[in-house]
Amino acid sequence: MADPAIHIQSVDKYYGDYHALRDVSLDVPDGQTLVICGPSGSGKSTLIRCINGLETYASGSVEVLGLAVGDDRHLCNLVRKQVGMVFQHFNLFPHLTILENCVLPQIRAIGKDRTAATEEARTQLARMQVDIHAEKYPDQLSGGQQQRVALARALCLKPKIMLFDEPTSALDPEMISEVLDVMQALAREDMTIICVTHEMGFARAVADRVILMAEGRIVEEGTAEQMFTAPTHQITRDFMKAVQR
Amino acid sequence: MSLTLSNPDNPTGFVAALRKHFFATKLDAVISLVFGALIIWFVMGVVDWAILDAIFRLENRDQCTYEAGACWAVIESRGRLIMFGLYPYAEQWRSTLACFVIIATMVLSCVPLFWSVRRLPALWVGGFTVFVLLMRGGFWNMPLVTSEQWGGLALTLFIFSAVFVIGMPLAVLFALARRSDLPVIAKSFGLIIDFVRSLPLLTILFAAAVVVPLIAPEALQGNKLMRVVVAFAVFFAAYQAEIIRAGMQSTSAGQEEAAIALGMPYWSLVVDILLPQAFRNTLPSTINQAVITFKETSIVTFVGFFELMASGNAAIGTGEWGNQYVEVYVFLAFIYFIFVFGLSRYGAWLETRMRLGHG
Ligand SMILES: Nc1ncnc2c1ncn2[C@@H]1O[C@H](COP(=O)(O)OP(=O)(O)OP(=O)(O)O)[C@@H](O)[C@H]1O
Ligand SMILES: [Mg+2]
Repeated sequence: MADPAIHIQSVDKYYGDYHALRDVSLDVPDGQTLVICGPSGSGKSTLIRCINGLETYASGSVEVLGLAVGDDRHLCNLVRKQVGMVFQHFNLFPHLTILENCVLPQIRAIGKDRTAATEEARTQLARMQVDIHAEKYPDQLSGGQQQRVALARALCLKPKIMLFDEPTSALDPEMISEVLDVMQALAREDMTIICVTHEMGFARAVADRVILMAEGRIVEEGTAEQMFTAPTHQITRDFMKAVQR
Repeated sequence: MSLTLSNPDNPTGFVAALRKHFFATKLDAVISLVFGALIIWFVMGVVDWAILDAIFRLENRDQCTYEAGACWAVIESRGRLIMFGLYPYAEQWRSTLACFVIIATMVLSCVPLFWSVRRLPALWVGGFTVFVLLMRGGFWNMPLVTSEQWGGLALTLFIFSAVFVIGMPLAVLFALARRSDLPVIAKSFGLIIDFVRSLPLLTILFAAAVVVPLIAPEALQGNKLMRVVVAFAVFFAAYQAEIIRAGMQSTSAGQEEAAIALGMPYWSLVVDILLPQAFRNTLPSTINQAVITFKETSIVTFVGFFELMASGNAAIGTGEWGNQYVEVYVFLAFIYFIFVFGLSRYGAWLETRMRLGHG
C-alpha cells in the first residue's frame, strides 16, 4: 500500500497543564474522506490543527504528504501550501472583495501572477456558485455564501488535502445544505478530506471512515453505519443519540 | 423634541426649515434668539475690527497706534519674517518653492493612486530630496544656507512631514514588536513605548538637541535639526504604535489563522491583512494624532529653531510692531487653521470612502 497522506503517531498535546491530546495515532490514506466527531472539548479541533501546524504538539510525530509537521517552519509552510483549511467562522478578509480574497493568497503563497490567479479564482468561485458575488465584500454575503467563498479560496491553491473544522455549525439551518452539497461533490472527487462535523447525514453519504474522539483520545472508529448500528462504547452511543436529536 | 408644527407634510422652503430646526418649541425659540444675537454681535465685531476699521496700507508711522481696527500693515511689513524666519532675504524664493514642493508632496500622498509600497516611499524620498536641496543650496548659484537658518512655514512643514513620514513606519515596527510572539521583544518594546510616553516632548527634544552632542561620538550625531526630527518621530511613534496596535487587535484572530493556513508569509499577513484594517479602524485617532503633531511642531522653538510660531513672535518682538500682536497671532492662527482644517476634512473624506467599502 502507498504511504498514507497523513500519518499521525502517538501525539500528545498540552495546553498548560491540560492534556488535550493523549497518545493519538491516526493514518489517513490518500483520497479518503474522514469525519471526526465527538463531544465538545474532546480535542477534535486541536487534532486537525496539528496537521497544518496551527498548533504545536509536545511529543509524537505528524507527517503530511511525507513532510514532517513540527517545529521546522519551512516544512510547515510547504505543508500549508498543499493543505487547505475551512473554519467554523469562515475567516474571510473583510476589507477585500470576494475575488481579491481568492486572488491574494495565490499571489502571496505560491507566487502566481495576477492574471492567472484571477482566472483560477473565477473558476473556483463559479464551481462554488458564488461567482456572481465576486465584486462584493464578505459582509454583503450570507453565512452560507461566505463559507463557500472560503472553500473556493482554499481550493484556488490546489490543495491535495482539505481540512474542515465544523464548517456548518455557525450557519443558519437553511444554509447548511448548500455548503454540505459542495463538500459532498468535493468528497466524491479524489481529494483527501478530514472534516470535523456533527452532520451525520454528511458522514453517511460520503465518509469512508468516521472516528469519535473523547477526552483527547480516539475512542471508536468505523464506517458511519457501524457507528450507528454497532457502537462498542457507551460514549459513542450517548453521542450518537445526542446528535440525532 | 416635540413638534408643534401645524403641517409637517409641507416642510419645504426656507421658512419651514427655519421653523423646524430653530423654532420648534418655545424653549428652542428662546435659545435660537439668544445665540443668534450673540453670533451676530460677535461676527459684526470681528468684521468691524478685521475689515471695516482695519488699516491695510500704512500712510504714516503712528497711524496704527490710535486706530480701533486691525492693522494689517504689520503683515505686509513683517510677513517675510513670519513666513521665512531667519532665512536670508535674497534667497527666500527658494524657501517659497520648497514650501510648495512639500505641500505638493503631502497632497499627492493623500491621493489613493500613490498608496503603494513602492510609490509612497519614492514620492517622499523625492519630495524631501528636492526640499533639502532647495533649502540648503550650496551648488550652482544658490549659496549654502545651513539648517540653523531655516525657519518659518517651510521649517514647520518640513518638521511635521518628516516626523510623520519617519514616525509612521517606526510606529508600525513598534506595534508589531509589541505583539511579537517572543516575550523578550514584546516586553522590552512595551517598556520603551511606555517610557517615551511618560516623558514630556520638550524633555525628549532637549535631550536630542543638547545632551546627545555631549555623549555621542561626533560621527553619529548628525546635525541638530536631524536629531530633533528623529527624536520627535520616536515620540510620535510611541503614541501612534498604541493606536495601530489597538487597530490590529480589533481584527479577528481568525483572519490571522486563515492567512497562515493559506501559507501566506508573515510580511503579507502584516501588509495586506492587518495594517489596512488597523489603519481603517483607527483613522479618526490617526488623523487626530497628525493634527496634534502639526500643532506641537511649535515646541521646537525651545531648542532654538525659528519655525512659524517663533518667527511670528520675533515679528512682534521688536518695539516697532509690539502693539500688533493680535493681528500677527490671528494671521498665524489662520495659517495653522488652513493645514489642520485640511487634515480634518481629508480624514472625514477618507472615512466616508472607507465606509463605502474601498480598501
Ligand atoms: N488555546 C487554548 N488554550 C487553552 N486550552 C485550550 C486552547 N484551545 C483548546 N483548549 C482546550 O483543549 C480542549 C480541546 O479543545 P478543542 O478545541 O480541540 O475541542 P473540540 O473537540 O474542537 O471542541 P468543540 O466541539 O467545542 O470545538 C478543550 O478542553 C479546550 O478548552
Ligand atoms: Mg472545535
